[in-house]
Amino acid sequence: MRGLATTYRRAGSGPTVVYLHGMDLTQRWLPFHQSLSQRVDLIAPEQPGFGDTPMPQWLRSIDDVVLHLDDLFETLGLDDLHLVGFSLGGWIAAAFAVAYPRRLTSLTLAAPFGLRVVDSPPYDVFRMTPEESDDVLFNGHRDEVITDDPEADRVETFVHSYLELTAAARLAWNPRYDHRFDRRLERVACPALVIAAQDDHVLPREHCERWAELLPSGRLTVLEGRSAPTGHMMVALEPKRLADLIADFVTAEEAQQ
Amino acid sequence: MSELEFYPFHNGAYKHVPHKSVISEHSRTNFVSLPTTFYDKALAQRSFDDFLEILIGCERLGYDGVLHSEQHNGPIGLSAQAMLAAAYLAANTERMLIAAVGPILNAYLSPVRLAEEIAMVDMLSNGRLILGLPMGLGAQYHSYGVTDPTAARDRFREGHELLIRSMTEEGPFAFQGEWFNVPYVNLWPRPVQDPHPPIWVPAAGSRETLELCAKHHYTYQAVLTPRKVLLRNCELFRELCAEEGYEPPPQQIAAVFFVHVAETDEQARREAEPHFAWLMQNFFRSTFQDSFAPGHVSEGSLRGMAAGGGYRSRDISEMSWDDLIAEDWLIAGSPDTVGERLEKLTSEMGAGRVIVYMDGASTPRWMIEKTLAIFAEEVMPHFRPPGGKPVWARGEDSRPFMTASECAAVTGGAKAIAAAQLADGSLVDTRTAHVPELRRPIEL
Repeated sequence: MRGLATTYRRAGSGPTVVYLHGMDLTQRWLPFHQSLSQRVDLIAPEQPGFGDTPMPQWLRSIDDVVLHLDDLFETLGLDDLHLVGFSLGGWIAAAFAVAYPRRLTSLTLAAPFGLRVVDSPPYDVFRMTPEESDDVLFNGHRDEVITDDPEADRVETFVHSYLELTAAARLAWNPRYDHRFDRRLERVACPALVIAAQDDHVLPREHCERWAELLPSGRLTVLEGRSAPTGHMMVALEPKRLADLIADFVTAEEAQQ
Repeated sequence: MSELEFYPFHNGAYKHVPHKSVISEHSRTNFVSLPTTFYDKALAQRSFDDFLEILIGCERLGYDGVLHSEQHNGPIGLSAQAMLAAAYLAANTERMLIAAVGPILNAYLSPVRLAEEIAMVDMLSNGRLILGLPMGLGAQYHSYGVTDPTAARDRFREGHELLIRSMTEEGPFAFQGEWFNVPYVNLWPRPVQDPHPPIWVPAAGSRETLELCAKHHYTYQAVLTPRKVLLRNCELFRELCAEEGYEPPPQQIAAVFFVHVAETDEQARREAEPHFAWLMQNFFRSTFQDSFAPGHVSEGSLRGMAAGGGYRSRDISEMSWDDLIAEDWLIAGSPDTVGERLEKLTSEMGAGRVIVYMDGASTPRWMIEKTLAIFAEEVMPHFRPPGGKPVWARGEDSRPFMTASECAAVTGGAKAIAAAQLADGSLVDTRTAHVPELRRPIEL
């Protein structure tokens, strides 16, 4: 698409939902995707610089991704869609909603980055060491929910994750928020659902509360875990519950249309 | 013996920080986020004064020059602005060269601002400035707040172009880049040295940086890497120079060694071992995530590192005295031992300049001054032409002028008359307007 081979996965039928991933867990169809695609027509693109979509030289900021997504939706012939973004993908989804408010039927943000909440900055994922990541992202439950490919090449895995973090840094290193959301979110016309984790070690709860406050039709809900409070990586920790929450919201909004 | 130039290096570190075995209670490492609660103003001032005075003393010892860097957000070095320290050194010395290696171009909002500082320090020092253009440690990008590490190389490349053009092209001109747009680049003041101070670039071995040095005839400052990588870098550098159509003189490679010289080999080890151990354990130790902020390393270099054998792939904090010697990072011993090792190691590299890293950060000032004095008197003369003079004392004095009369003799003449219009409407030459018989209207 415009010279950039863009990877996406698609499955299911029903209302069209586009899911924007966070900073990692790319190159795979997760149980979360599986659950969600049982109830909707799910499209999961890999954003420029992530997964199998290469990093284009022109990638400098979130705006570049927003325009790229518009091109992608145009190419796929998507008109009224439900947009879902997790973590960094939440920031991108919100920026898309600000730019193209009339293209969306609904907006769902799960533990979204992107707001300036003074005195409550998110955890600095750019400095996170591998030893810290389990506690920070998964609240200590990584091994229960992620199966690493034993065949994977150590060097390739390492390089790939560094390059994905580089793409994330292009979008969100400096600054680590878009303070203009405070004013611009008023443009988002569609109903919006903000999903917070119970015990998010990355994103303080204030962020989700503020998103819900700023979005004109925004509503906050907290995703509860089955056996332990949910952490930032809800998408891996509680795939079925998160998928159901999103599908319920999308289905209800679809019925309203 | 080969002919070598010597540049002592001191970091101006603040050593009163927790040892690596307990630092995790306060911070991951000494980089980026060691709390300032460890900072004592008086101790810091003392460290900083020692740093400057040790370097100033190198002139009387006869060194060719001194080299200092800049560090940010931590105790690694309290000299946070290389150009400011260079200005102070310029004002407190007469002849030796001052290598500021250097200002982090990417930490400046505009390279023109750096060009102004370069011009000022070059004037303050009468053309003794050597300018270093390091990319900056990855760790430092966590705290600049100016740019991001993924932009480092692109922004540096363009910033370098603007910096050099501002010093070499007549102004004003417009610069229209991706990172910098300056409608009027018009550098006043301008550097004394023509076309600009010599440039050194510290490089761990990225091909791009070596290409930059080769292309512009800059000095490649060979940052410590595993010895076999280092020698490969020197070879690659010479190949790249050959591709540019020239053979680099040895002075275009500056070797870096930890150095400690004492009366005997045993004494050198007794004195310096604890301090270099301290340095390795506390100051070079950083997490991968801090050192290699995302995008700061190219994909090629990263693969090299991941596969092993690349830049600092071993845990540097576990390097012992014997490891440092075995890796040829440390040259220590009696004057004879140090002289022999220097000859061998610089010859292998083809290096004609040596950065003498004698500061173990915890090394007391008296010990550094002792080693610097022995080195100056018992090692350095072997690597000099007869007479033992440093580069700045050989041949003609390269300083443009030192006195008002010399200035009058060498001036190229005013390009325009400094004229003023007086109350009666007459235009006068301000040089003579205060003398009634010389005050007469002039035409421009």
